[in-house]
Formats: sequence, structure tokens, C-alpha cells
Amino acid sequence: MVRHVIRKAAGWLLMIVVATNATYFLASWFLDPRSNFKELRPVRTEEQIDRALAPYNLNPQEPLLHRWWDWFTSVVFHFDWGKSPTGVSVNGEIGYRALISGELVIIATILSVVIGVTLAVYTASRQYGWADRISQAVSIAVFNIPTSVAALAVVFVAIWLNQNAGLHFLYVAGENSPGVEGLFPTIGDRLLHLILPTLSLTLMGYVGYHLTQRSLLLDTINADFVRTAQATGLTRSKAIRRHALRAALIPTATSVAFSIPAMFTGAVITETIFGWNGMGRYFIQTISKNDVHGTVATAAFAAALTAIGAILADIATVFLDPRVRVN
Amino acid sequence: MATDVTTDASSGATPDPAARVTAPGGKKNAPDLGLGRLYLRRFLRNRLAVVGVVIFVLLVLFSAFGSLFTSYAYSDADFAALTQPPSAAHWFGTNQGGNDVYASAVHGLQRSLAIAVSVSVLTVVVAAVIGSSAAYFGGRVEKATLAVIHFLLVVPSFLILALVSHRLAGDWRVLIVVLTVFGWMSTARVIWSVSTSLRERDYVTAAEFMGISAPRIILRHIIPNLGSLLIVNLTLGVVATVLSETALSFLGFGVQTPDVSLGTMLADGAGTITSAPWLFAFPAGLVVLLTVSMTFVGDGLRDALDPTSVTGAAGGRR
Repeated sequence: MVRHVIRKAAGWLLMIVVATNATYFLASWFLDPRSNFKELRPVRTEEQIDRALAPYNLNPQEPLLHRWWDWFTSVVFHFDWGKSPTGVSVNGEIGYRALISGELVIIATILSVVIGVTLAVYTASRQYGWADRISQAVSIAVFNIPTSVAALAVVFVAIWLNQNAGLHFLYVAGENSPGVEGLFPTIGDRLLHLILPTLSLTLMGYVGYHLTQRSLLLDTINADFVRTAQATGLTRSKAIRRHALRAALIPTATSVAFSIPAMFTGAVITETIFGWNGMGRYFIQTISKNDVHGTVATAAFAAALTAIGAILADIATVFLDPRVRVN
Repeated sequence: MATDVTTDASSGATPDPAARVTAPGGKKNAPDLGLGRLYLRRFLRNRLAVVGVVIFVLLVLFSAFGSLFTSYAYSDADFAALTQPPSAAHWFGTNQGGNDVYASAVHGLQRSLAIAVSVSVLTVVVAAVIGSSAAYFGGRVEKATLAVIHFLLVVPSFLILALVSHRLAGDWRVLIVVLTVFGWMSTARVIWSVSTSLRERDYVTAAEFMGISAPRIILRHIIPNLGSLLIVNLTLGVVATVLSETALSFLGFGVQTPDVSLGTMLADGAGTITSAPWLFAFPAGLVVLLTVSMTFVGDGLRDALDPTSVTGAAGGRR
């Protein structure tokens, strides 16, 4: 069982390495740091531009494989992710941003799974009841709304609430307020800023779990083993939770890993709308500034998030699925 | 619209009569009821799907002929009316640059529809060829294809999409290619898993014994029998493409000014949702109408085309 998890984790590690290196080559091909110098006055010559980029390992005259090898060794041996075309260290930028985005994505993922599965259990045991129909309609509608529209709708409602209901704890911009001192006020302030972005990300995330988990549960809810469980004296809701849900949760657990890239995409848009200085916004900035190393670091971060989600999903599968434990 | 799609489905499925058993329910109706009529009847029984078709047709008509009702073009700037709320002259109001929002919405919807439909068609074609080839050839080809698909599925493809389209896009035709290249994987996986059972069928074995080449078997015997699946994925692909196109354009990586799509209009309106809500409300409404209607159509098609589907067989329980 431990070996199963370790083997899976090794596979994911390999995935991160391959994905990050592939992104390095893609970024080097598609981003051109030289174009940053095009608008500068006085006009730089080609050699001047190359010389300015050389210290940051971005000199286009150097073969791509050399640049890649320098970058790769510095990441592996010093965990140094390189520098932007203006000489800013990527490591210094991603440290706190990774924390901000990680917290957003992980909290939203956990909330999505919990809310989605709970809703699925509730509605599946009342199939075609009014609660089932209403939540089904709401979920299908939400499933089709673009993240940007949903997040902006949340902003709109929050501003309206702030103005008309006199609320003061809904923040639509930034990840913290300036001038907050002390440990507990800081934590409280950050949590309040988290509310709306997490809400809009969760809104986008829970739907998939609700719809798939509901149909999975409907497949198992009338299975013989659930009826047997009820025959031993369990109530119907207990039988569903302990027996039907347990079997139906296995595919959901594996799908968590595949949903994290989508969650990160949502985070890119949510961070842009809520003005968070997280990895998502950093990614957009790095692309528009032709910052190869920053872009690659963001992609690596996203791949790492996916891998963490996948490993957690594998561990959950080990607990849920006895077949994995036996083999 | 509905008749078009359903007759397509039947012609796609008929080249190989052995493949398709007559759907249950066909028997109790009049014997002359063709497959196309049967599909149409089942589709029309689903009220939401019919509503979806109506909304979608209205949207297409709006994008095609909406510009006839206004004297403004999306690129015209009316400097006498900057950020005006909806009025008789500007039905949907104007934006900060004085562009008529109605004209922009017509053009943006046209752009988004063109991108969504062509990407969806291309994606389904690519996915059908790759998915069914992987299933038919099996062995090492299958393993390698699946490895690539799984890898691309877990890699945050949106990031790569943004990276690539930032350099190339601005031109919506390039965006179509980029969205197709990074969008075929999940459909291909579904098609692969269905095709694995098709490759064992008698008619495929028979074709092999007759010495028909592998590409021909895939094109003539396997892909036509995926017809219903492909059509359903086509409609759902439109939804997925609209969502990713709006996301990309919203962030500034998709369609770029001076061109207009629904995504760029959303981005324009994002900053002023309290002071000028009409800038955001109209494109947002159009996007949601488009995706919701296509989802309804997709669900209806799935129920109508798939004989084993529960809702289709049970006679319109919704």
C-alpha cells in the first residue's frame, strides 16, 4: 500500500519534470525578451540587446540547449529559477505568491469536493424530488457560466451588499489591507479577503463534483450490497453514506487530480478580477513581459499543485478501495 | 437545425447496417418510421432541448443579421456619446471609446460563434481519427497515444494555450488552430474507450479478412459507428470552446483589439460593473445564452441518439 503511493508519487514527480522542461522550450520559442527593448529610446542595437540579456541566461545568440542546460542545473542544484529580463530574481517573486495562490486553490478545491459530494448525497437519495430538480437546474446553469462572468457577478453582488446592507467585511480587491498589525488581526484580515475569491472559485468547482457524484451514486444506490446493509438494520441514509457512497467515491477521488488544472485556470481569472498578487496574475504579467523563467516557474507550480492533488487522491483511493490494498 | 442534425446522424450510421440494431421503441411505432424520424421524434419530446435549439437559432440569426438594424459599425467611434447608457440611438449603450455596444455585441457574437463552431468541428475530427486509430491499432501505438493524452490532460494546458496564443493570436484564425491543438485530448479519450469495443466487432474482422486497409477500416467502419457520440461531443465542444475563448480573450491572450469577441467585451466591461453595468451585462447575457442553449441541445441529442439512454427510452420523463 505504501509502495503503491510511492510508485504513484514517483510517476507524478517525473510528470512535473517533463512538463516543466517542455514549458521551458515552449516559452523560449514563443516569448521573445528582445522585443522588450524595441520601444526603448535611444534605440538599442542587436548586440547591445544581446549583451543586456546575457547575464540572465536569455541571450538568443547562445544555443537553446546551452541555455536550457544552465537553467536546468541551477534549478536542480541551487533551486534557482533564474531571472526576469530586467534582472529580478524569480525565486523572490514566487515565494509569497505561491503561498497566496496555493491557499486559494487548495481551500477552494476542498470546499468544492465537500459541498459537491454532500449535495450529491442529499439529492441522489431524493431523486426527482424538488430539491434534486432545483439543485440540478442551478448546477447546470452554473456549469455553463464562464468563470469571469461568475466572478464579476460575485463582485457585483458584494458591492451591492456593502452599499445597501451596510456590510464591511466583503473585500473585492487585494489579498490584505495595508496597515494591519499583529498576528491575529493579520490572520483575520487575510481570511476576510479570502471570502469572495474562494466563493467564486468554489462556485465554479463544486458543480462538476455534484453532477458526476450524483450520477455515480444513483448507479450504486440500488445495488444489492446497499439493500443488504439496510436489511442488517441500518437506516437508509446510513446505508447510503457508509456503503453506497464509499463505493461511488472512488472515481471522484481520482478525478480530483484532473480538476486541479481547471481550478488553477479559474484562479488565474479570479486573481485578475480580485486584484490578488498570486501566481495566476504573475503568470499573465510574465507572459506580457516576455519573462521566460517566470513563466516556466508558474507552470512548474501548477504542475506541482496537480501532482499534490493527485497524490492526495491516490492516498484517498487506498483508504476507499480495498482492491488497491490487497494488490 | 434539429432536422439537419438528426438526418446527419442517420446517414452517418447507415453505411454499415450490421452495426446498428434498430433502436428499441422503433417497433411499437409505425413500421415506416425511419431512423431519422425516430431521432427527431425523441429529440422533440425533450422540451428543454427544443428551447435550446430555438435560442441557438435566434443567436445565429442575431449574429448574422443583427447588423442590419443599426447604422453603426463595431469599429465606429461616436465621440459625442462616450459611456452612454442604453438609449434609442444606441440600443445597448456605448463604451468608453464611443463604440456602439449593440454593434460590438453582434460582431463579437459572430466572432465567438465562428471560433466555437470551427474549433469544435476540428476537435471532433482530430479526436475521432486519433482516438479510433489508437483503439484499432492497439499495442504500442495505443499505449503511446494514451500516455500523450494523459500527459496533456494533467499539464495545465490553459497556461500553454495562453503562452502560445499570446505570441500568435490577435488573428482569430490562428486562435482556432491553437485551441484545436490543445483541446482534442478529453474527447479523444472518450472516443478511444468506446472504439475499443468496436474493434472487436464482426464487421471489422470481416473487413480485415477482405484485405481492406487499416485507414479505410477506421474511416469507413469505425468512425461512422461513433456517429451519435461525435455529434453529442460536437455540441458540448462548442460550449467548452466558448468558455475557453472567453477566458483567453478576457485575459488578453485571445482575440485582441481592434477585433472584438464576447471575451474582450467582458474584459472591457469588467472594470465598470457598478458605474456602467450595460457594458458587462449584454455580452455576459449572450455568452450564457449561448452555452446554456448548446448544453440543452447536447443533452437532447444524447437522449435522442443513444438508444440505451435512460431518459430517451423512458419516454420523456423530464
